[in-house]
Amino acid sequence: MTAGIEVINTTKQYKVFAREKIDALRDVSLSVRKGEYVGLLGMNGSGKSTLARLLNGLLKPTQGKVYVNGMDTADAANLTAIRRLVGMVFQNPDNQLVCPVVEEEIAFGPENLELPLAEIRRRVDWALQICGLEEKRHHAPHLLSGGQKQMAALASVLAMLPEYLVLDEPTSMLDPNSRRMLLGQLDLLNKREGMTIILISHNPEDLLQADRLIVLDRGSIAMEGTPREVYGNQKFKELGLNAPALYQLIGQLESNQFPVPDGIKSIPELVEYICQE
Amino acid sequence: MTGMKLGQYVYGDSLIHKLDPRTKIICCTLAVISVMASVNLYYLLFLLLLMVAAIIASRLSLAFILKSIWQIKTLLLITLLLQAFLTPGQAVWNIGSISMTREGLIIGSINILRLIILFMGSLILLMTTTPMKLSTGIEYFLRPLGKLNIPVHNFTTIISISFRFLPTLFEEASMIRNAQKSRGSQFDSPQLMVKIKSYAAVVIPLFEASLSRAADLGEAMDSRCYTSHPNQIRMSSLKMTGRDAAALLLVLVIVLAAVPAGIFLK
Repeated sequence: MTAGIEVINTTKQYKVFAREKIDALRDVSLSVRKGEYVGLLGMNGSGKSTLARLLNGLLKPTQGKVYVNGMDTADAANLTAIRRLVGMVFQNPDNQLVCPVVEEEIAFGPENLELPLAEIRRRVDWALQICGLEEKRHHAPHLLSGGQKQMAALASVLAMLPEYLVLDEPTSMLDPNSRRMLLGQLDLLNKREGMTIILISHNPEDLLQADRLIVLDRGSIAMEGTPREVYGNQKFKELGLNAPALYQLIGQLESNQFPVPDGIKSIPELVEYICQE
Repeated sequence: MTGMKLGQYVYGDSLIHKLDPRTKIICCTLAVISVMASVNLYYLLFLLLLMVAAIIASRLSLAFILKSIWQIKTLLLITLLLQAFLTPGQAVWNIGSISMTREGLIIGSINILRLIILFMGSLILLMTTTPMKLSTGIEYFLRPLGKLNIPVHNFTTIISISFRFLPTLFEEASMIRNAQKSRGSQFDSPQLMVKIKSYAAVVIPLFEASLSRAADLGEAMDSRCYTSHPNQIRMSSLKMTGRDAAALLLVLVIVLAAVPAGIFLK
């Protein structure tokens, strides 16, 4: 069994009216290796969410194939195994919390997997601790703040111990503070727990920590590369997107004959580098 | 909008919180039966006292429960008035051709007492049991229906999800109401038709929003491997212990006491 997610020449069509069809994705191919942090960027209607839903078999490709660790998502017999591997966090925190108590919410996934009770309890404690929700364990989700709700959603997916974590615009309904917290958490999970992360966003600032960026435009992949390559490229601007402040700065420095090494991922790091020079 | 809602689960670790949900459901059902079967005022007062004791034992806020009872005052008052006027007997007060009777007032008061006891009982059940446990408990009792191909498991999932989304829906309704108000909707118009039309403008967006919510929730549940088969793990997490047996025995004795109480305390 090959580890990783493979999307091969995938097209997804939606029926709009009886005869009219639109392509949400057109002939997309990509692969995600284990342990990677992949950012998926695109404007509204670029097919980001469709791609996310293809990755855990919520949607089936009209043409092409999607494999998760070698398992075909089009085969219904694989679905439980695939969804166990690919955890998914959605945009609206309110609409993805099933249970009226945070603790039960986190236990919902492991219970569906019919794990032993002691194991469920262990995982719930772990997920609560890793997401900083220990004090909220007996609260009702609707009494939490937006950021805490999204953290609860993340915790309940983590409790299933997925290998791949797909997040479909998780930050778009959060305030800047909760957004930073969530992104910091994802970075930790990737670096410390070795979890593969596929973060989908329309905000280039969200994806600074990614190892690799994929830019979607109207259903196909427009650009692919490290954040430095993508954000520094003229084509990125032509797609109507704005590069994050950090990369605008790096671009200007380099055009003035001041080389900046790779691996600088935040403004404080850049400042430190400039001061050392 | 994020205050405590009627009948919402309140976290606690009292003896009553720790009872098995099945025990609590049986106790509540027995209490309903005994309240319905008995007309004896003293016995009902004793049950009322018992409910208050249960509330104190579960460390729920008595003030909150009294406030909740105050919210159903109209229902209680209508019950009293209907009984008082419609029961034949010795008249105490005449309005035209109908009269309030002494017997009616007594039966009315007893019925109010009954309603209050039932109301308190169900509040204790709801406020000390998490909806997930409650629905698992209900599922346990309805399991025989599964043999008739009735999807009991789906039914109890619906119950538990509705507990989760009721507060969210209330919030959404008040949001839509404010949005319509700011566009000049007349919710407090004296004309009934205008009022009804204003509320239609709340119900329709609310309905539409619930549908999209349901679609999102379905995806989230699917992603977390939810299947519509009965869940063995959830069922086996229910455990009857010594305190459950004790509670059941106590309630059974109290209910059976209704019979001699009805005979001797006349």
